[in-house]
Amino acid sequence: MKLVSYMSQWRGIAKEAMDRTAIAVKFLCCLHITDTYFCSPTHVYGPSMLPTLNMVGDIVLVEHVSQRLGKVRHGDLVVIRSPLDPKRCLTKRIMGMEGDTVTYFDPMLGDATRVAVVPKGHVWIQGDNIFASHDSRHFGPVPYGLIQGKVFFRVWPLDCLGVPGQ
Amino acid sequence: MLSKAMGFRNLGPLGLFAKEGLEKAFSLGKFFCFLHVTDTYLVTFVVTSGPSMLPTIDLIPTMFLGERISTRFGKVTRGDIVIIRSPQNPRKLIAKRLVGMEDDTVTYISNPDEPDKQETIVVPKGHVWIQGDNAYKSNDSRNFGAVPYGLIQHRLFWRVWPIKGFGPFWKH
Repeated sequence: MKLVSYMSQWRGIAKEAMDRTAIAVKFLCCLHITDTYFCSPTHVYGPSMLPTLNMVGDIVLVEHVSQRLGKVRHGDLVVIRSPLDPKRCLTKRIMGMEGDTVTYFDPMLGDATRVAVVPKGHVWIQGDNIFASHDSRHFGPVPYGLIQGKVFFRVWPLDCLGVPGQ
Repeated sequence: MLSKAMGFRNLGPLGLFAKEGLEKAFSLGKFFCFLHVTDTYLVTFVVTSGPSMLPTIDLIPTMFLGERISTRFGKVTRGDIVIIRSPQNPRKLIAKRLVGMEDDTVTYISNPDEPDKQETIVVPKGHVWIQGDNAYKSNDSRNFGAVPYGLIQHRLFWRVWPIKGFGPFWKH
């Protein structure tokens, strides 16, 4: 008799645990969809985008709609997967779309300005801080398919709240 | 249950209809969320067509199962057939065989009509070298160079359609 009462108690607890897990899973699925297709927060850091983004780290909102619709263009701040290390994402500015001729200047290679043509399906990315940025001037144009999203709003630090400057 | 019936009596039949519609929409939404997560992280159906992977993959539309677990953990190796986003057109997905990983030295024939002219290249860091099995009709790394690893979407591991080819699909 005691065994039967134990089993019925356990069944009640198990059912409640399953219900709570189901709710948690549904919530995480919804969060994931929003993250992937609409908007997600990202922590960005490093000196390559000074003075637009701070070195110690900013939290920005990244939207994933424009790159899917092909509405990313010249001058946009984007989060892009690194062509050298697929596990890392970089935040840089687009300085050339496919078919553009890009004129760039690399302080580490002397004073000469160089010219490059961006091939089909690729973009040219550069950090705003040309003295401390590892970008297309070093590894060449990157395929458009590596763009993860466009940065459109900064939420932290609070005194820099708003759209990051042009 | 009685209080619930009394609460919705005020809205009338239209209110009940709207409530049911909303509930159905939510279940559909939850189902799509779950499907999407499985699609993105685990397994999805992939349909290929075209001559660039003959004789391994037929010309007609063929359906495969593609998984994303190996690609996310970097466990894709030489010889795997992968779905990769085209570096020339970001809206196109292409199916090719992975021939070289980063830091490999790849020797290839850029023009199959001249089999004596071989070229050698070292695959840069973070990139892979892909080639179609049909050297005559394949637009691959021999044309557009090594592609960044980040463009790999799925790894094909099971053929689903046509039925006579149903079964495991690795290490061909």
